[in-house]
Amino acid sequence: MVNDSFKNKENRPILTVKNISKRFGNVQALKNVSMEVCKGDIVGLLGDNGAGKSTLIKIISGNFSADEGEIFLEGKKVHFNSPSEARAAGIETVYQNSPVCINAAVYENFFIGREIVNNYLGIKFVKNKEMQKSTLDALQNIGISIPSEKAEIGLLSGGERQAIILGRFFHWGGKVALLDEPFAALGVAESRKALKLIHNVSQKGLPIILVTHNIEYAFQVMNKYVVLRHGEVVGVGEKKDVSVDDVVSMITGAIEIKD
Amino acid sequence: MGLFKIYFHILANIFFNLILIYLKIQKGTINMAIVKRKEILRWILDNIAWFILLAMLIIFSFTVRGFAQWPIYRNILYHSVFIGILAIAEAICILSKEMDLSVESVLALSAVVTAYLAGIGPDASGLHLNAPITLIIVLLMGAGIGLFNSYFIVKMKISSFIVTLAGYLIFRAVGLVITKGHGVVNISKDIVAIARTNIGPVPLMIIILIFMYVIFSLFLSRTQFGRYIYFVGDNREASYNAGIKVDRVLVIVFIISGILSALAGWLLAARTNGSSPSLGQGILFEAMAAVVIGGVSLQGGIGRLSGVFAGAIILSCISTVVSIVGINPYYMNIIRGGMIIVAVILDAIIRKIRPRLI
Repeated sequence: MVNDSFKNKENRPILTVKNISKRFGNVQALKNVSMEVCKGDIVGLLGDNGAGKSTLIKIISGNFSADEGEIFLEGKKVHFNSPSEARAAGIETVYQNSPVCINAAVYENFFIGREIVNNYLGIKFVKNKEMQKSTLDALQNIGISIPSEKAEIGLLSGGERQAIILGRFFHWGGKVALLDEPFAALGVAESRKALKLIHNVSQKGLPIILVTHNIEYAFQVMNKYVVLRHGEVVGVGEKKDVSVDDVVSMITGAIEIKD
Repeated sequence: MGLFKIYFHILANIFFNLILIYLKIQKGTINMAIVKRKEILRWILDNIAWFILLAMLIIFSFTVRGFAQWPIYRNILYHSVFIGILAIAEAICILSKEMDLSVESVLALSAVVTAYLAGIGPDASGLHLNAPITLIIVLLMGAGIGLFNSYFIVKMKISSFIVTLAGYLIFRAVGLVITKGHGVVNISKDIVAIARTNIGPVPLMIIILIFMYVIFSLFLSRTQFGRYIYFVGDNREASYNAGIKVDRVLVIVFIISGILSALAGWLLAARTNGSSPSLGQGILFEAMAAVVIGGVSLQGGIGRLSGVFAGAIILSCISTVVSIVGINPYYMNIIRGGMIIVAVILDAIIRKIRPRLI
């Protein structure tokens, strides 16, 4: 896992989505959608409003269940009834308002539920110093800089919060991260930091599905793309084979490319 | 006069430093030297209730004749024992973003049960039980009441405000039923002794109070479960996502609250050598006020127990001064209410300054 395997061609897929269909009443939200995510991949999941991006990631992360189709995680078929099951399996969505304990320190949020403790007579005392140090190390390791690991997380910016959540997910052995519109509320400088972080994390082996409207940003980091339109995959492939204009045409429906 | 000088120096120093730091932050001349100062300022803001208490002690020492002496301080601390312990119970509930209005009635019921089991006379049981046995019985009763409250709150998802409002009405009334609305006087000597024992110049009750605050401060700030109470109060979803058993945390919070309220009732029975129907009436609001003055926010997950301790002492300081000076006690609640408003305004100001201090 330590070796730099992000350019490894003989990667087997970490996450495979096969022929997923989902209907809400009369609306066919997704129709036979398939995609693959390998180690080191940053897959841009692109499409217009209502194209089915959200539905797809909500199915992957266990919020909805699909009417048809299968999901495989590391080759094993999985079925999640809730986001917590997906999280336990190693799939998590990070979004603008991901819940955090805003009045707790950064390190407490980083270690929440996994505190380092000393057990004295059955009472578990938290080891704050150690947690602070590991938090700082873990965040620095993937290039996240924050004012202080002891600051309340609610005092940090939205971008910093998302970065910490992504860092936490990576640190605790997450398998696939779904980033839902990570740039939505970020300024230019913050978005740039976020892009760098996404790149760093994926280089260290965490595959990412990036859902965004911002094609320009997506092009800066992704190596693969999947374009959805009206619930169907209308384009899939490697970024190097297409231009921004091609992708825009796919999103709007001017051309269709399938491989 | 020596005491005044020390007070004055401490306060003047703090005040001077505060202004200095504030000006530097305003001017934006923040450098590494200031970082240390920011930490100091943050520490002061976190403990603002203690500084208010200190200021009050100084002001009263100068303005109220006969205030600056140990018997008065001892009296203030003694008076804050019951408010103080109830305030721990309330603070733990509020930190978890719930509320327990039944603490006062549990205190009253516990005092009545203690007096009933340990008292002499026609309204007592005649069992004449001793201190350890009555203590165990009322603590178990308190735990039971906590479990009862949490059943409705956690299992049936009824708001804790409503459930404990019902409890507020029920438990005191149960106490009245037990003694048919009469008071009980004269209870077992070993219980009364708790209230009359001194260790050196310090009453045992005050030592119990301080001990409770030390233990529960450690519990809330240093143990994993104590931190979970904060996390659950702060954001239930984030806590749940992290695998914290939110329901279990809340059940234990209410059980702790019931046990602490029962303990306060038992101590109150010891203090009054019995119980009366109106025992501890209105103490809920004093405990609530101590919690808010101490900087615990109703938002949940914000505040520290040390501040609550200061809040409890501040309130009993005010009642003591009112009775020394002989102000009409009708003014008492105006002063208490005013304190709450001051505390809330201070809290809002601190919340504005704090983001600049990271």
